[in-house]
Amino acid sequence: MNEATPSANRAKGSARQPCALPAMGIVNCLGVGQAQIWPRLLAGDASGLVHRLDFIPGVDLIVGAVSAALPEIPKSLHRYACRNNALSLLALQQIEPEVREAIERFGSERVGVVMGTSTSGSAEGEAAILNHYRHGFLLPQFEYPQLEFGGAAGFVAAYLGVRGPTFSLSTACSSSARALASARSLLALGVCDAVIAGGADSLCGLTTHGFQSLQAISASASNPFSANRSGLTLGEGAAVFLVTRDVNASRVKLFGVGESTEAHHISAPDPEGRGAETSMRGALADAGLAAKAIAYLNLHGTGTQLNDEMEGAAVDRVFGSHLPCSSTKSLVGHTLGAAGAMELAFCWMMLAARGDAKLPLLPHCYDGVPDPKIPPLALVAPGAIREVQGSAYVMTNSFGFGGNNCTLIVGDGGVA
Amino acid sequence: MKVTLQRWSAWTPNCMNREAWEAWAKEPSVLGHEGKPEAEFLPAMLRRRCSRLTRMMLQAAFEACEAQDLSQVRTVFASRHGAIHIAVQIIDTIVKGQIVSPMQFSHSVHNAQAGLFSIATGNCQPSSSLAAEADTFGHAFLEAMLHLERAPQQPVLVVIGDEPLPPLFKHLIEEPEVAYAFGMLLTTNGVARPGSIDLDFDLTLESTPLPSLAWPPALEFLRWLSLGASGSLTLGAEQRRWVWRRALA
Repeated sequence: MNEATPSANRAKGSARQPCALPAMGIVNCLGVGQAQIWPRLLAGDASGLVHRLDFIPGVDLIVGAVSAALPEIPKSLHRYACRNNALSLLALQQIEPEVREAIERFGSERVGVVMGTSTSGSAEGEAAILNHYRHGFLLPQFEYPQLEFGGAAGFVAAYLGVRGPTFSLSTACSSSARALASARSLLALGVCDAVIAGGADSLCGLTTHGFQSLQAISASASNPFSANRSGLTLGEGAAVFLVTRDVNASRVKLFGVGESTEAHHISAPDPEGRGAETSMRGALADAGLAAKAIAYLNLHGTGTQLNDEMEGAAVDRVFGSHLPCSSTKSLVGHTLGAAGAMELAFCWMMLAARGDAKLPLLPHCYDGVPDPKIPPLALVAPGAIREVQGSAYVMTNSFGFGGNNCTLIVGDGGVA
Repeated sequence: MKVTLQRWSAWTPNCMNREAWEAWAKEPSVLGHEGKPEAEFLPAMLRRRCSRLTRMMLQAAFEACEAQDLSQVRTVFASRHGAIHIAVQIIDTIVKGQIVSPMQFSHSVHNAQAGLFSIATGNCQPSSSLAAEADTFGHAFLEAMLHLERAPQQPVLVVIGDEPLPPLFKHLIEEPEVAYAFGMLLTTNGVARPGSIDLDFDLTLESTPLPSLAWPPALEFLRWLSLGASGSLTLGAEQRRWVWRRALA
């Protein structure tokens, strides 16, 4: 059903050189690591979502909270000791052997870190300020790098002892998708030989109260692309990748990046989805792929009225109605600044799980009531498998607050 | 890495135009941290909602561009602390059990300046918002190079700005107490504009600590530019050193 092969679908000369994603670490409300998370995702298991009363007084909030024990931040790095960085560390530990090998091989000065986050250690900042309000002083264990955005990357670099470029990107929900875009350019420009790129976001007062104030949070679990949808469900977690030029040593490669902004509204997307469309078309052009070469799309699919309507319209214009697609946010919540890397990790696991021609697809879990205002999409049913001959390419969308969009394409295709 | 710095602009309460900056570069005096720019190019409605940091950064952004650039450039908005003042106000609201305002939350995200620039100019080009602790300026310059790597034909506008931390946090880090924004337009292709400077930009390592700076790194860079960009300029943090040199023709 899909005739994708490198020669058939990748126009020679027009595509840029892909980079390799040889190792991936992940944590979210479904668990820690590929072995725990992949089967639960595939089964459409939403039991990671929990009720919490402690974020907003009087509000029973459903969230994708990480329940796994988090590693302790080394004492020498206390300045970075926050939940956000502990989540990063839990993801990073899964790929530490491959990362250490890359540092050994290339030298610590040739390895960079780019992390996306929208929260950094806001939770610890809030606790410190609460203490100040009650007792007149900040909590003694509070240090500023726990809170600042730059600390998300600073921590990873300090933990690994790498000395290459180290920075955080914070463009709301597209933050960590953008981190992968910058990582690829660091390699292409020759500034780095390996980059640790990804994102982390942690539940906190700022984002729960903030999205509640925008009336964006659903009272029930998020129900993306349903006629009955009523908003998003917040989540937390981290996903990190080792990014290198070693395309021949890695099954999964990053083939395309598309980026756009919207010039529309500070907290709402363009209702026609023009920015989303530009982002998807940009990624296809960057990868040198035709729309028909894409086997699956992981939707941004937040479950808000506006996002799903505009994204559905944009997907319909770029792909028509037959591309299998799903939003995984009804299973893990919207992990905001981590979402781009998180959902790229889902696509990574999908390609890693491929057997021969059979590509297992991630199900779209919702109440099954399509919205007549959204063009019909091929939302993936549980257990669906797509037959793909030759190389498989999958796409993931991240659309941020403030109109900042980023689309990534990964694939297992060969490289010319 | 080679790049052309086409134009620049900066704003603090004491230095609001090119002449003032050139005089300051020759004889640096205290830069204030009170007051905010007019930002008269913004529609009144939008301007009223902008924080001081946003106004400063948009002022520098608009002045670093010519009119035709505004909707065409890619952008990098960088700030170490970002909207920390708004975040602290929101946390204060939460701590006191009051209701958070959606407008306040919308303006507290790190990419608020990027979003507002895009809205004010109709710019739909790719945009990054960045932070890198004490080394934010050098990394913002690098992120611009990464945009130029992806799209060599397209100019990149870099804007960096910060304010002194809220009183609650001020004792936690040491840094010059300045409210400022600096903008520059970088290209790797195209026609040189009047006053443009061709630069070599490199990253090296050095274990000897850098002397502590009197001014934020962006303003040290501005001083070096204003004084004719002779010799080289080295900035950085920990062991990372960013080196700028005027490129030989």
